[in-house]
Amino acid sequence: MTMFHFFNCAILTFGPHAVYYSATPLSEYDTLGTSVKTAVVYLGTALVKLVCLATFLKVSESDNFDPSQELLKALIGFIDVAGLYFALTQLTHRNISQNHKFQAVGLGWAFADSVLHRLAPLWVGARGLEFTWEYILQGLEANANLMLSLSLAALGSLMWLRKNKPKTLIPIIYACAVIVATMPSITSYLRWGLKWHLPEVVGFQLLTSLTMALVSWQLFAACQKPSSA
Amino acid sequence: MANPRNAAEGRRQMFESFYSVIALVFILVACVELCDASTVVDVYRLIQYDISGVPFGSRVASLNHHAGSSLFAPGSDLSRTVVILPLRELNETFIREYIEQGKPLGGLLLLLPRIFHPENSETVGGYVDSSEKVNMKKLLVDLEQKLIHSSIHYPVYFAFEDEDLDTVLADIKKNDAAGQPATATTGGYKLIVTSPTPKKLVSPTITNIQGWLPGLKADGDSNQLPTIAIVASYDTFGAAPGLSVGSDSNGSGVVGLLEIARLFSNLYSNPHTRGKYNLLFGLTSGGPYNYNGTQKWLRSFDQRLRESIDYAICLNSLGSENGLWVHVSKPPENAYVKQIFEGLSDVAEELGLKVGLKHKKINVSNSRVAWEHEQFSRLRVTAATVSGLSVAPNLLENTGGLSDTREFVSEAAVVQSVKLVAESLARHIYGQQGKKIDIFADNTSLAVNPSYIRSWLHLLSTTPRVAPFLSKDNPFIMALKKELADHVVEVNLQHDVIDGMFTFYDSTVNTLQIYQVASVTFDLLLLLVLGSYLITLFSFLVITTRGVDDLISLFRRPPSRKAKAA
Repeated sequence: MTMFHFFNCAILTFGPHAVYYSATPLSEYDTLGTSVKTAVVYLGTALVKLVCLATFLKVSESDNFDPSQELLKALIGFIDVAGLYFALTQLTHRNISQNHKFQAVGLGWAFADSVLHRLAPLWVGARGLEFTWEYILQGLEANANLMLSLSLAALGSLMWLRKNKPKTLIPIIYACAVIVATMPSITSYLRWGLKWHLPEVVGFQLLTSLTMALVSWQLFAACQKPSSA
Repeated sequence: MANPRNAAEGRRQMFESFYSVIALVFILVACVELCDASTVVDVYRLIQYDISGVPFGSRVASLNHHAGSSLFAPGSDLSRTVVILPLRELNETFIREYIEQGKPLGGLLLLLPRIFHPENSETVGGYVDSSEKVNMKKLLVDLEQKLIHSSIHYPVYFAFEDEDLDTVLADIKKNDAAGQPATATTGGYKLIVTSPTPKKLVSPTITNIQGWLPGLKADGDSNQLPTIAIVASYDTFGAAPGLSVGSDSNGSGVVGLLEIARLFSNLYSNPHTRGKYNLLFGLTSGGPYNYNGTQKWLRSFDQRLRESIDYAICLNSLGSENGLWVHVSKPPENAYVKQIFEGLSDVAEELGLKVGLKHKKINVSNSRVAWEHEQFSRLRVTAATVSGLSVAPNLLENTGGLSDTREFVSEAAVVQSVKLVAESLARHIYGQQGKKIDIFADNTSLAVNPSYIRSWLHLLSTTPRVAPFLSKDNPFIMALKKELADHVVEVNLQHDVIDGMFTFYDSTVNTLQIYQVASVTFDLLLLLVLGSYLITLFSFLVITTRGVDDLISLFRRPPSRKAKAA
C-alpha cells in the first residue's frame, strides 16, 4: 500500500513531464538530447547557487523571516536565469526550431529540478506508513514548476533569440520575465514570511503559474504572427 | 559522418554512467531506515511468566494493527484492532469479556494517568484530588491482579497519557463514534511494535546483600555475641516489569533498613556506644516468590550463626499513614514476641503511632510464605515483620506493582516508622527497655535524616526492580551494596537461582510507533484522478500543439490506426 502511494506521488510528480514530451512535437523531432543537456546545465547552476548561498548567507538559528537575507537569496535565485540563458543561447543544438528548442529546454530544466528536489524526499517519505498530504502537494508543486519553467524558457527565447518582435510587446515580455523569475522568491516569502500553509502556497503557485503560462503563450503567439506573416 | 556517430556514442556512454550513478543513489537511499511515525511512545509490556509450566500474562509481544477506542459497537470483531483504553474508561464488561474470558483482540494499549509514572515522583501531592487518586489506585490494583492471573493471547501494553496520545485517541474516538472503525480500507491509525518473540530467561538470578555491624566483644570471639537481624526484601513484581518500582512495597522497607544501618553505624563507630549485639543487615531478593531469596540466604548460614540470632525484624511497606502492624508466627505469649512487641509499642506510644500485633500460624505443608519473617520462623529463628499491611497478602499481591508509586508513599510515615524501629532496637541493645529516653532525638547528630530517606525513596521509586530482570551486576544492586558498605562492614553479595517454579520471558519495554495511514481506496481513487488528469493533459497538449486546423482528425487518428492494425 505504501509502495502504491509512492507510485501515485511519483506519477503526479514526474508524469506531466513525460506526457508533455510525448504529446507535443518534441518527441517527433527527438529533442531528448537538448533536454538532457539542459538538465546538466541545471545541475551546474544548482551547484553554483549552492556555493553562492553557502558563501553569502548567514546560517539563521530561527525560522524567522529576515528581509535582507531573503533579498540576497532572491538575487542568488537569478542565477537560474543566467543558467537558462546559457542553455538557450550557448548550447549547440541540433537543427531544431526555436519553437521546439525553448520547450525542450524548459522541460529539461523542470525535470532536473523535480528529480533533484523531489525524488529523494519522495522515496524516503512516501514509502513510509505514515500518511501525509505533503507528497501529493509536492507533486502538484512539480506541475506548477513545469509550467513556470516552460514560461520562463519561452520568454527567454523571445528576449534573447528572436530579433524581429513587435516593439510594443518588448516591455511586457521583460516585465513578465521578471515576474516569472522572482516567483520562487515570492512563494518562499509567502511560505516563511506570511506563514501560509502548504496547501495555500501550492494553490497560489498553481494559479500563478497557470496564469503566467497562458500570458507567455499569448505573447509567444503574438510574436510568431509577424514572422509568419 | 563520423562526427555525429561519435557524438551519439559519447552520449550513450554518458547515459550509461548516469544510470549506474542513479542506481547507486537508489541503493543508498533504500537503505535509509524509515522511522517517521507521527508519534513514538515508550510502552511497557504486560509481564509474561509461567508458574510450574502454567502460562500467565500476555503471551505475545509484537503488534501491528489498526487502532480502535472503547466506543466500538458491541459484538463487533476486534481480533484485528488494537483497543486504546485509558484507565478511567475501563469498565466491568470489558474486563470480564476480554481479560477473563479471553475474547480475541488485536491488542490492548492501556493508558495510565501520569500520577503512576515512576518519573512523576517530584510532584508529590499532585494535581489530581485525593479521592479520585485513591479510586484510580483501587481500580489499577484490581486490574493488575486480573491481568497477572490470567493468560492473555494478545499483546497488552501500558503507556502513560500524554498530549500526543490524547490527540490520537480523540481522533480515533471521532472515527468510531461516526461508525467507521478503522480497517485497512478506511484508514486511520496503525499501531506498530516490532519485537521478536519473547524468549525464556535462562536461569534468572536473585541477589541478596548482607552486611554486619559487629558488637563490642567483652572477651573472646565476637561470634559469641547475640545477633539481631534487620531484613528487608528489595525486589518487586508487577503487571509491567518496566514499571514495577514498588515505592511502598518494599522501597520504604529498604529505605528504612539503610537509615537504620546509618544510625547504628554512627553509634557503633564509637567504642563507648558500641552495643553488645552484632547487627546483621540483609537486603533480600525474591520477595514476591514466597521470599525465595530469604530462604536461600538463611540456608547459607551455618548452624552456629543461625542460633546466635536473637531475633530478626523484617521491614515491609512502611510508607502508609494508617499505623503499623507487627506480624508474628509464634503466639503472643511467647517471651521473645512479647519483648519485641512491648519494645515497639512503648516507643510507638511516645511517638503517637498505632501499633497492633497479628499472629498467624505457619502451615508447614503449604508452600505459600506470606511474610518474610515466616522464613525465619520455619528455621526456628524468632522473627517479626513490621508492616503497614494488616492482612497477609496472597501470592503476587502487594509486591510493588503498577499502582505502588511515590505518589502514594508518605515520607513522614517512613521517617516515623524508622524512628520507631531504631529506637526500640536501641533500647533493647543498650538495656534501656521501659525507660523514657530518646536516643535518636530530633535535631541531634543522631536524628533520623529525612533528606536521606527522601533521596533514597526517590531512587527506589524510579528504579524498576523485578528480580529476574536485574542482572548480577545491575547498577542498582551495586548502588545498594556500596551504600550499605558505607555504613557497615563485611558487605557481600550472594547470587542464587530462583526456584524452578517460575519462568519469565524477556521483552518488557518496547517502543510503539503510531502511524496515520491512508486507506487503499484512497490510493485507488487518487490513481484514477491522476490518470484522468494525465489523459486530459495529453489530449490538451496534442490539440494545442499539433496543428490548429485539424484538431479533430488528430484526436481521432490513434483509434483509427488501432483499427487498421487490428
